[in-house]
Amino acid sequence: MSQNFDVYIPVVLLMGFAIIIIIGALIVGRFIRPHHPTELKQTAYECGELPVGSAWSFFNVRFYVVGLIFIIFDVESALMFPVVTVFKELNSIGKGGIVLVEILIFLAVLVSGVAYCWRKGDLDWVKSFQNTVGNKIKK
Amino acid sequence: MNETIVTYLKQFEFVSRGYAGLSPHMATLVSVIIFGIFAFVIVNVCAIIGGLGTYAERKISADMQMRIGPNRVGPYGILQFLADGVKMIMKEDTVPRDCDRFLFFIAPFFCLVGVFATLAVLPFSNGFILTDLNIGVFYLLGVASMVGMGVFLGGYSSNSKWSMLGGMRGASQIISYEIPVTISILSIVLLTGSLSLRDMANAQTGFPTGWYIFHNPFTFIGFFIFFIGILAETNRAPFDLPEAESELVSGYNTEYSGMRFAFFALAEYVEVFVVCSLASVLFLGGFKVPFDIGGNTIIGQLLQVGTFFGKAFLLYYVVIWVRWTLPRLRVDQLMTVCWKYLTPIALFNLVGCAFWMYFFDGKSILTLLLQTGAAAAGGHH
Amino acid sequence: MFLKFLFICSSLAVLFGSLMVACTKDIMHSCIYLFFCLLGVAGLYLTLNADFVAATQLVVYAGGIVILMVFATMLTGGSAFQAHNKFGFKKIPMMGSRETYIIGFISAFLFIAITFKLLLNLKEGLTPLSGQMPFETVRIIGHKLVTDHVLPFEISSVLLLGALVGAAMIARPRRG
Repeated sequence: MSQNFDVYIPVVLLMGFAIIIIIGALIVGRFIRPHHPTELKQTAYECGELPVGSAWSFFNVRFYVVGLIFIIFDVESALMFPVVTVFKELNSIGKGGIVLVEILIFLAVLVSGVAYCWRKGDLDWVKSFQNTVGNKIKK
Repeated sequence: MNETIVTYLKQFEFVSRGYAGLSPHMATLVSVIIFGIFAFVIVNVCAIIGGLGTYAERKISADMQMRIGPNRVGPYGILQFLADGVKMIMKEDTVPRDCDRFLFFIAPFFCLVGVFATLAVLPFSNGFILTDLNIGVFYLLGVASMVGMGVFLGGYSSNSKWSMLGGMRGASQIISYEIPVTISILSIVLLTGSLSLRDMANAQTGFPTGWYIFHNPFTFIGFFIFFIGILAETNRAPFDLPEAESELVSGYNTEYSGMRFAFFALAEYVEVFVVCSLASVLFLGGFKVPFDIGGNTIIGQLLQVGTFFGKAFLLYYVVIWVRWTLPRLRVDQLMTVCWKYLTPIALFNLVGCAFWMYFFDGKSILTLLLQTGAAAAGGHH
Repeated sequence: MFLKFLFICSSLAVLFGSLMVACTKDIMHSCIYLFFCLLGVAGLYLTLNADFVAATQLVVYAGGIVILMVFATMLTGGSAFQAHNKFGFKKIPMMGSRETYIIGFISAFLFIAITFKLLLNLKEGLTPLSGQMPFETVRIIGHKLVTDHVLPFEISSVLLLGALVGAAMIARPRRG
């Protein structure tokens, strides 16, 4: 249709290449690789022992917390990118001060949140259980 | 303005004349073919770089430990990676019985698609860039985040405890370290005023004095934060917890064998190259050649490509060097480093860069020193 | 031509993904299909000349939210996995009864009716722009954020602060 969407052609092409390479190699390999499955071969290797039970079990909640904090910073960066991009332009016409103050306020609010989490020990990986118990004993 | 390899080629007369006679549909088709050829070349070059990366890793580590390393296949063993590839493709493809077959199959796709898609915006030179998107570096962050998903799925689908642990660690580590990396990139975007990687490189000069790493104290610290961040994002030592061989066998790819394993390895090594070249573009002047020798001609472009690859390989060497020098971190140290050190410092850097822009109008520290020096010298007369 | 190709691919990804999210029985598979769906949405944004929004979709949703969902699935652990998620509708409380089906059909009907009504009113303007140059949307968004829409921009940081503190609160071990 128009010329300008052509800039996205390489993106699609490269993704396509990646998919083709994997599928192609697996199909080509099918003809030259041996295929002798045995009962023992098909169990999970783990560390050489026979696996006991399934690996899909409860996981610690802190992974989830890391994910949550990540998303918050991710959204923050997504909001910051446009503002930061125009900073230079606006600075050259003398409006840099306003943008600077806006960036500072935006970051200050977020940093206060991080500071709160830090103070309360939410950023500690080995947490919290020992900490709370320790605090109680201290009290 | 979006620039692509096609728009670069169009400045030569015979190409633009050829384009002028085509209908819009045919023009798109021709563009697809040109893009296809260049994308094919770049994918192959990067795959070979990834392969040579495995060779370099073994050879350099051997050098550091006073061993010889691979030396049988080809001169100095340089064809070792091809032998490895042939071996991989001839290996039996074992799939654990209890695994989640669909996810097991699809996990390498995430890694490889994510890594290859980043190649689209890498500026190999002023003209040789597949496509210079307006949102360049942001796009790169977006597609690179698919790798985290692939690592997690590889660990999860295997239904093996070590893989599971490695996958969880890998995903949480990749997303955590994305934060300091993104904030460091933000400070460079602030100085450039553009998201396109080509503009970022063009805003620097061929000499180290004009590089962003020496632009001001904040970017100097920012470079190291960025570098530590990319080490962690690509699961390299000292942050190789997802594949810590002494505790997790081989981490998230323990259960993968043959070609499927090879794709994980390929994706990892190509990603290291991609992030190294990203670091060189953001902080070390990218493709800029001193005095801009050659200009926009083909020879000039090739010089620029050489500069680009030289810087990227230098950083690649440092990455390997770091691996064989530093011991591995613990998980809690890993998270402490990310959330309590790198992220606050990166935020501080961002604010510092903003102040620098505001007070000094984006001039580099060297320019300022020269100016004050000149002013002082002028005062004496 | 390429625009059409992009549009068809993305919309197929969205349709296929969202259908499979609803139909598949394994939660983890649902997450992956959701990923495809979000990827397709990013492609749709791209066809609408909104490149920055598309990249944001990739960074925040495909890279962040899906990982978070996967982690949340790992929290459920045990029972759901041991049954290997073979629960039909019946096993979930409040689902599969006649009332839920009726409510579901009514809401689906309403949704379709409203969508069609909206689409009929908008006879034009639904085709993607075929104009020149994709203008640099990042710059436009940036200018808007620091001039007309300063307040939303600043307030969003308060929203993020709330989310951060909330996340920390949830994960804190219960005392006593």
